[in-house]
Amino acid sequence: MIVCVAVVGHQNNPLYLQSFTEADDALKLHHIVHCSLDVIDERVNNPKKTGPTLNETFLGLLYPTENYKVYGYLTNTKVKFILVTTDLDVRDADVRNFFRRFHLAYVDAVSNPFHVPGKKITSRTFADRVSDIVRTFGLGTAV
Amino acid sequence: MGREVSESCVDSLVIEMVSAYCNRFYATKPELAARRIEAIGYLVGHQLSERYTIERPRFSDHLEAIKFICKDFWSELFKKQIDNLKTNHRGTFVLQDNRFRWLTHVSIDPSPANTDISEEPSLATAEGKAAQATSMHLYFPCGIIRGALSNLGIPCAVSAEISNLPACSFVVRIKA
Amino acid sequence: MVDPASSFLGKMLLEEITPVVMVLRTPLVEEACLKNGLTFVQMLQPFCVFNNIDVPVRTVSDQPYRLHKFKLRLFYASDIKQPNVEAAEEHLKEVVTRAAEKDLSDLSSDPPQLDDLLAMNSESLPLWFKIFNKELIRTLSFSEHEAFDHPVACLLVVSSKDELPINKFVDLFNTNQLPSLLNDGVMDPKILKHYLLIHDNQDGSSEKATNVLTEMRSTFGMNDCRLLCINSAKDGSEERIGSLWTPYKTDTSPSQDLGCLLNVNDVSEIKDLMQDLSSKHIIPHMEQKIRVLNQQVSATRKGFRNQIKNLWWRKGKEDTPDAPNGPMYTFSSIESQIRVLGDYAFMLRDYELALSSCRLLSTDYKIDKSWKRYAGVQEMMALTYFMLDQSRKEAENCMENAFSTYLKIGSTGQRNATRCGLWWVEMLKAKEQYKEAAGVYFRISSEEPSLHAAVMLEQASFCYLFSNPPMLRKYGFHLVLAGNRYYMSDQKKHSIRTYRSALSVYKGNSWSFIKDHVHFHVGKWYAFLGIFDVAVKHMLEILACSHQSVMTQELFLKDFLQNVEKMGKTYEVFRLQLPIINMSSLKVVFEDYRTYASTAAANVRESLWQSLEEDMVHSLPMSRSNWLEPEAKSSKKDKDSNVCVVGEAIKMDIEFKNPLQIPISISGVSLICQLFPRSEVAECELTEKDAHAHPYESASGEKNDAEELRKLTSNWELNSGVSSFALSEVVFSMRGGETTVVQLTVTPKVEGVLKIIGVRWKLSDSVVSYYNFDSDHVKKKNIKGRKKSSQSSSKNLKFVVIKSVPKLEGCIRHLPGKIYAGDTRRLVLELKNQSDISVKNMKMKISHPRFVIPGSLEDLNVEFPSCLEKNSNSEHNDVQPSSSKQPKSSLFSFEDAAIQGGTTFFWPLWLRAAVPGRISLYLSLYYEMENLSSEMKYRIFRIHYDLEVLQSLDLSFQISPCPSKLQEFLVRMDVVNRTSSENLQLHQLSSVGHQWEISPLQPNEAICPLQLLKAGQALSCFFKLKNCRKSSMFEGSISFHSLLQGHDVRLGPQGSDKALFDVSGSALADFHHHERLQQGKSIQGQQGTVDFILISQLPKNRADHGLEGQSDLPQLFSHHSCHHSIASTSPVWWLMNGPRTVHHNFTVSFCEIRLGMAIHNSSKEAISIRMSTLDVTSSDGQLSDVAAAAQDPISSENQGGWHNVSLGNDIKVTSDALGTQFGKSSSDVMAPFVWAASSSTRVELEPMSTTEVPLKICVFAPGTYNLSNYTMHWEVKLLGVPLSAGDRTRQLSGRSPGHPYYITVLQSP
Repeated sequence: MIVCVAVVGHQNNPLYLQSFTEADDALKLHHIVHCSLDVIDERVNNPKKTGPTLNETFLGLLYPTENYKVYGYLTNTKVKFILVTTDLDVRDADVRNFFRRFHLAYVDAVSNPFHVPGKKITSRTFADRVSDIVRTFGLGTAV
Repeated sequence: MGREVSESCVDSLVIEMVSAYCNRFYATKPELAARRIEAIGYLVGHQLSERYTIERPRFSDHLEAIKFICKDFWSELFKKQIDNLKTNHRGTFVLQDNRFRWLTHVSIDPSPANTDISEEPSLATAEGKAAQATSMHLYFPCGIIRGALSNLGIPCAVSAEISNLPACSFVVRIKA
Repeated sequence: MVDPASSFLGKMLLEEITPVVMVLRTPLVEEACLKNGLTFVQMLQPFCVFNNIDVPVRTVSDQPYRLHKFKLRLFYASDIKQPNVEAAEEHLKEVVTRAAEKDLSDLSSDPPQLDDLLAMNSESLPLWFKIFNKELIRTLSFSEHEAFDHPVACLLVVSSKDELPINKFVDLFNTNQLPSLLNDGVMDPKILKHYLLIHDNQDGSSEKATNVLTEMRSTFGMNDCRLLCINSAKDGSEERIGSLWTPYKTDTSPSQDLGCLLNVNDVSEIKDLMQDLSSKHIIPHMEQKIRVLNQQVSATRKGFRNQIKNLWWRKGKEDTPDAPNGPMYTFSSIESQIRVLGDYAFMLRDYELALSSCRLLSTDYKIDKSWKRYAGVQEMMALTYFMLDQSRKEAENCMENAFSTYLKIGSTGQRNATRCGLWWVEMLKAKEQYKEAAGVYFRISSEEPSLHAAVMLEQASFCYLFSNPPMLRKYGFHLVLAGNRYYMSDQKKHSIRTYRSALSVYKGNSWSFIKDHVHFHVGKWYAFLGIFDVAVKHMLEILACSHQSVMTQELFLKDFLQNVEKMGKTYEVFRLQLPIINMSSLKVVFEDYRTYASTAAANVRESLWQSLEEDMVHSLPMSRSNWLEPEAKSSKKDKDSNVCVVGEAIKMDIEFKNPLQIPISISGVSLICQLFPRSEVAECELTEKDAHAHPYESASGEKNDAEELRKLTSNWELNSGVSSFALSEVVFSMRGGETTVVQLTVTPKVEGVLKIIGVRWKLSDSVVSYYNFDSDHVKKKNIKGRKKSSQSSSKNLKFVVIKSVPKLEGCIRHLPGKIYAGDTRRLVLELKNQSDISVKNMKMKISHPRFVIPGSLEDLNVEFPSCLEKNSNSEHNDVQPSSSKQPKSSLFSFEDAAIQGGTTFFWPLWLRAAVPGRISLYLSLYYEMENLSSEMKYRIFRIHYDLEVLQSLDLSFQISPCPSKLQEFLVRMDVVNRTSSENLQLHQLSSVGHQWEISPLQPNEAICPLQLLKAGQALSCFFKLKNCRKSSMFEGSISFHSLLQGHDVRLGPQGSDKALFDVSGSALADFHHHERLQQGKSIQGQQGTVDFILISQLPKNRADHGLEGQSDLPQLFSHHSCHHSIASTSPVWWLMNGPRTVHHNFTVSFCEIRLGMAIHNSSKEAISIRMSTLDVTSSDGQLSDVAAAAQDPISSENQGGWHNVSLGNDIKVTSDALGTQFGKSSSDVMAPFVWAASSSTRVELEPMSTTEVPLKICVFAPGTYNLSNYTMHWEVKLLGVPLSAGDRTRQLSGRSPGHPYYITVLQSP
């Protein structure tokens, strides 16, 4: 199950961070997301280690923390999406699909006239869409 | 994606915006109007780039980004690509569009001064005025390009030049 | 790539994995040594390390090589055992705490900055990490499953003072205090022994010792015995050599000087003792042993046959139940021997041999499933690989293998796993793979108890820092984890240290969640250590945490306040963010020559006032800027600064916002000011200067803030003492997220220059915050509308205080907030003059003269409303002139009224609510000072009120010419009471102007039947209006006075003897004038208009419920409606005159009746008129269509006349209406009549002339006839006169149906 999704701006500032657990581990998740930025930087800076194709937006599994799996996604505009999940076996396709839909949601969110570029995303529509995407995560690759 | 929009709608929207800024808000100080229009373009480009780069591997260098602008981005906007791209390999790119859509409807009508040869200066001024008016229409696309590039992490300055209508060329100077 | 031996790990191995020498000694030996404050072992320790021992050695395959570095480890036999766990833990904890003690010193310093963290490299790591790691490893020494800790040799020491030293030697070894290793046969008891005799030179000469030595030699063999003489120093005589030992003495106190009795000879003697021991005995012995073991091993295990046999044999041992650490291996077992072989080889740097034997061994252990030993061997292999500097991969694989295997076997192997981890980390570090190293640290940490884990994590964090590129976020994260662990194993100082260095990572970036957490805990722990100021500093960072949950916010605030309290003194902060000051909303209200009655008045736009006051101010000689002149002399720069008056408060509105969702209480909010008395203005300039020298905009760095704070506090202290001005203090509390505006005042007491510097407040009585306005540009919303935004805010907040001048204060007495339209009442303007100087020639300007007009002094003492009544006294006559001239200009000047100092002044005002709606009244009152010496010549007092006017009556008039008389009109008044609840009593209707005379239709009875007009009720009643003016009066001009003369009709119940009100009297007349002006705007110049004034009252019996409960009820309503034109669209009036009843005998003949038609031309032009009579037949149609044309008036008529009619004074329509009414009734005409005269007559009429046209009808039967079936066609004759604007509006020709005229013909008897 997905624990947390986050959007991090191109100056590594958190734009959106939503946890889907009851437990109040917000701090922990913040830490995890924050740390995963290091890995993203690493991946991007020496791309030999990156995923199948060079410069792909999908960065794959960033690192397994003690009991989480962290996946990353870096858009062309240097915006990072981070997905933290507790699932043990996650199908790569699912994650890719997730990120694709998430990206669309994000694009729509930043097209919102009330969204200030570089500021936190506060739109409720976005939140709803995200939670929807999260809910349907892994249920086949239906968009 | 698959989002479509009436072209003429966009055309008149742009025209109206330009005229609104040039003739209504900042009629007296064109350079201010220009800056405002360019700023609008910047935001538009900023968002468009966000949208049009979905599902596309990241650009490894500037040239790739510029190429993206010339090819996919441009065809998303204008259903055609930039016709000619030149660069001096030191951060300056010249994007030439031989038939820039937003200029296709613009035509500088021969002012009455044109008919007789005696009034060369007035002719020139008329031309100049017309050219200035036309160039106003180019600040918006300039802004779009700049916005898109800077959103792709390439801070730059964009200017436009009109060769004979409706051809025009955009000059992108990437800030080192 | 560094040579492994010189890498840290290499060095570590070279000194940790070295031969162990077991020491057995008698108590006397110890005694002798302790004289030097050293145990025996300690005494020897410095000489066990040989940096260039240079011993030739041969490998098993006879390759000669030389050992250079070598080291012996000496242990008492009693220490050769596994240290028990608790002790070890204690020891480690000891190490950590000691480290903490060391760096507590810099806890109070600023936390490290990021960039100098990045400048660090692995050398700059705190040393105690290494110590800790070493100690951690040491806790594992002397384990059975590996041989490099097993003693290689045994050193037996006996003092020369022992009696029978030989026997001592014997039973030293035989006593069963030998370490378990030897006893339970893990290692070979036959061990190389060396016999040493200690002689203390202080107990006489050494003959005895030498004897003993020779004896020993005879018994134990020639070269295994040795004599060592110590303590041969004459105390104090030689130079100190204690420094040799200091590095080895960790625990004891440095008080006693080490090795005080040892002199150079002793030292050199010890040196060659050890030298010989290692080079002549131990190394050869080991070499020898290696050879032996190697031969055995190769005999039994090398070669294909042996391998098979070995395998088969091991299969044979299958059935043995495998214990957790596999089967028991005695020293004689081949495995142990291989192990020993390997370890010895390793110690003698013969790594190939070590490796090969370990390889051999690992397979065996693997097959035997004796995992611990297997892991040990793997570990050894890894180390040898490392030392061989061959394939690193191999090394790491082995290490990892060992690591996991140790973990696999559970708790017993866990510490070993840690050791592997440490080795492993060092390997990685040696390869500069810091990131991986960090990972390994992390894995270790998950196995260890929290304290060790903490240390591991911290080292991990450093690894991330050193990795390339540095991974700062992970660095921070692991620091936080470490800090957390430290905290759990209460090492608060360490946790603070780690968190603090983590701060540098999170500083400034937007991960506020993490930042808050770190700051908060650092704060808490500092508080725990009692360093409150730092604690508070950290807490401050997180106070304004609007993003946090309410609970968190409460927590933060609570702890913060607690700490502040604990700190004892009130804490002073520069620009505390709680609450937040909204600078943009900063607003200053002060009064220079403009003074305000209320803040409402102050908030009115300045331009509005100015437009109101223009002529008032300019009407006097001196110009507005005059009052500034003295200032201008004193200093140039005061020109642009504001002026205020001594003793008059400067008010400042500041908006505070509470960012949190929890309530906070603020107290002691007050301004911080500086007042330079007139004498020291120069000094003030100076401060100005240096203020500008280093502008506050740059007040961002810590330094500047502190500087700011200092300035403010000092100023504040000055304030509290100073008497030159008075400050107000505000206390308030804010709910969560609330925004409040507080008004602070400062009242200067002496002349000079006053500067408002900042504001100071107390957060819940403990924290004092200072806020200076200068530092950011205050966009002050300047009340006086002067363009000041260009100037710096510091100027805006600078005031020139001038000496006190009189100031009027006052209000309008009992002015209601809500009022019904038409309500007319008398108000009193009350002005107080506090000062002792009197003010003179006052002028007043009123924004809405239609609503408020100044009365005259007399009005004060007459009572209202009776003063308005018509009681033929001379009073109102002399009001006339004043009232008549006033309305010309709305500037009213109190003739020569002056207000003496300290007195109060009253002046009457008339209020009449002209129209419904909200209006805001502006009164502005100008006055001059008595003594012109003062710097201010005049002041203006501004009053502002908002008035809500409710609908009351709306009335409409409708005038139609009277069909029966010329120059007379029917006036129809429609009144509707639109009030919500009030019942009104119509009192009188007056027509204004002498030429009009209004009267009831029937003079004798009351016009309106009902007592009072209930709310929502409507009423229409009719009057007769007579134009009692000769037609020649049209162009005559009449005086205003006479115009005002009016005629009144008393309405209301019959016989009410209430006095009528005098509409030409003072107030009403003036109001009427303004009304005329107002309403006149809409109507373009038309001649012959009439104005009406309807006066109504509240019924007397209605005192119970007031409009808004207050005592003074509206007593008088006057409604004015003006400019009702009587000029009909048709310029002709006609009137049929003749008999009304005729008696005739129809038996004789039909009856002829003569009539006359009088026609009057009221227009200015000549008119041709054609009157055409119609036949009855055609008359039907004519009537019917008119009826159709006038449908609605009739239908509405049926509702009993309750309706309002538009004010359109269009006679044509109404006349139609009238006509049709009668037309309808004419349906009961039984027999027709015929017009006897010509069917059409044409007459020409001169302007203003009347003519008479004869008419005749024939009637054939008795009955009542309506002679209205004729029409008037008229046409204006334009004698070549071009149309004037006025003409265009009226029509130039028209046709009107006849007025009804009834004639009754009776059969005469």
